[in-house]
Amino acid sequence: MPDVRERLLQATYDCVARWGLAKTTVEDAAREAGVSRATVYRYFPGGRDELVSAVVGWEFARFFLRLYDEVHDADTLEEVMERGLVFAHNAILEHEVLQRILQTEPEILLPRLTVEANETHKLVAAFLSPYLVRHGMAEGTDLDAAADFLARMVLSYIESPGRWDLNDPAQVARLVRAELLAGIR
Amino acid sequence: MVQVSSATSQLRPLSDPGQGRKTLHHLGADDRSSTRVRIVDAALACMARQGLGKTTVDDIARQATFSRATVYRTFPGGKDAIVAAVTETEVARLFSSLAVVMGEATDLEDVLVAGMVEAARRLGGHAALAYLLAHEPGVILPRLTFADMDRILFAAGDFAAPFFARWLSPDQAARAAEWAVRIVFAYMADPAPDTDLADPADTRALVRTFVLPGILALRASTDDAPGPTPIRSIRPGSPTNTTKGAVQ
Repeated sequence: MPDVRERLLQATYDCVARWGLAKTTVEDAAREAGVSRATVYRYFPGGRDELVSAVVGWEFARFFLRLYDEVHDADTLEEVMERGLVFAHNAILEHEVLQRILQTEPEILLPRLTVEANETHKLVAAFLSPYLVRHGMAEGTDLDAAADFLARMVLSYIESPGRWDLNDPAQVARLVRAELLAGIR
Repeated sequence: MVQVSSATSQLRPLSDPGQGRKTLHHLGADDRSSTRVRIVDAALACMARQGLGKTTVDDIARQATFSRATVYRTFPGGKDAIVAAVTETEVARLFSSLAVVMGEATDLEDVLVAGMVEAARRLGGHAALAYLLAHEPGVILPRLTFADMDRILFAAGDFAAPFFARWLSPDQAARAAEWAVRIVFAYMADPAPDTDLADPADTRALVRTFVLPGILALRASTDDAPGPTPIRSIRPGSPTNTTKGAVQ
């Protein structure tokens, strides 16, 4: 049953959406998925802790799939960045489960997001690299250095845009051309 | 929203856990404030050793060699009030050391490099912050992410903008300053193997490659009056071409 893991993660996500991270137990996830506790432990030997970390990573991966859908047919690197920033920032703001947990259980969620942050920024860099290659960089630009810097910046802006109003297309265009791509294009 | 109108005006703490202290106390100005500073420094020493959760008012009093009564007289709000004062004091100390190094720099590149290196060194070498990040991330991370990071970005951008005023309009200066702060935090939260912002050479390379071209584009992209000084006052013989791919 290759989809048991997926079903368990969806079930855990639904429990977390209802009760939060701290109150979701292995029993809850098992009941929601319609499997036994033993099955949960077979897939997640670390129990509740592993399940919660896995569900955070799972939701992250789903987010990236949606982001890919949003940007993959953009014609220029500028358009990739503009669409990606706006989509990602709004997806965070509109993510009801994320927003509720940031309000009620940030101390549980944020260390998990940050422990995996190193992986996250590498994931974003790997995601961006083909676009940098395809759409072209200025002569002499180091692809890995550019992708690494861009990934760190993108993550920073979508989490905390500061002075930039990402709902204003003119500001997004300016941000992308100045702080994101000026040293790369 | 934190507002700091200029580099020398009153500073508010980055976060205020309900104690409502809004003013910066001048350090060492009288007995009362030196008592405050001793308590704040004692709290920092305790936090660097055992974190926030385990630190009690008794620990702080012992570390400061004060009685509990003295500590509570100085901070009637107890531990929460002391923690708020620690944040406020450390932000003030960071800003004043940044003001010194950035004020001494004479071109835009040097202002950026000096500020970023100083901030990276101070944050990276902060023992209490390091302990919290390593052992109590649940306590410190909510203060350094999402809306709380926005607050830090606004405060730091407002603080640093005047140092960029010779080269940039107020709006451009605030955005550039905020960007520099953003970069420092992005590399602090997630260190890069070959870029150490506490190292001036690494920071200069990063500034030349990514930041100065961006600021040039930022300046070109608005029609509010730019500053009179050329943006690229790079020293003679500079090996790096900062105009690479400047403006699309």
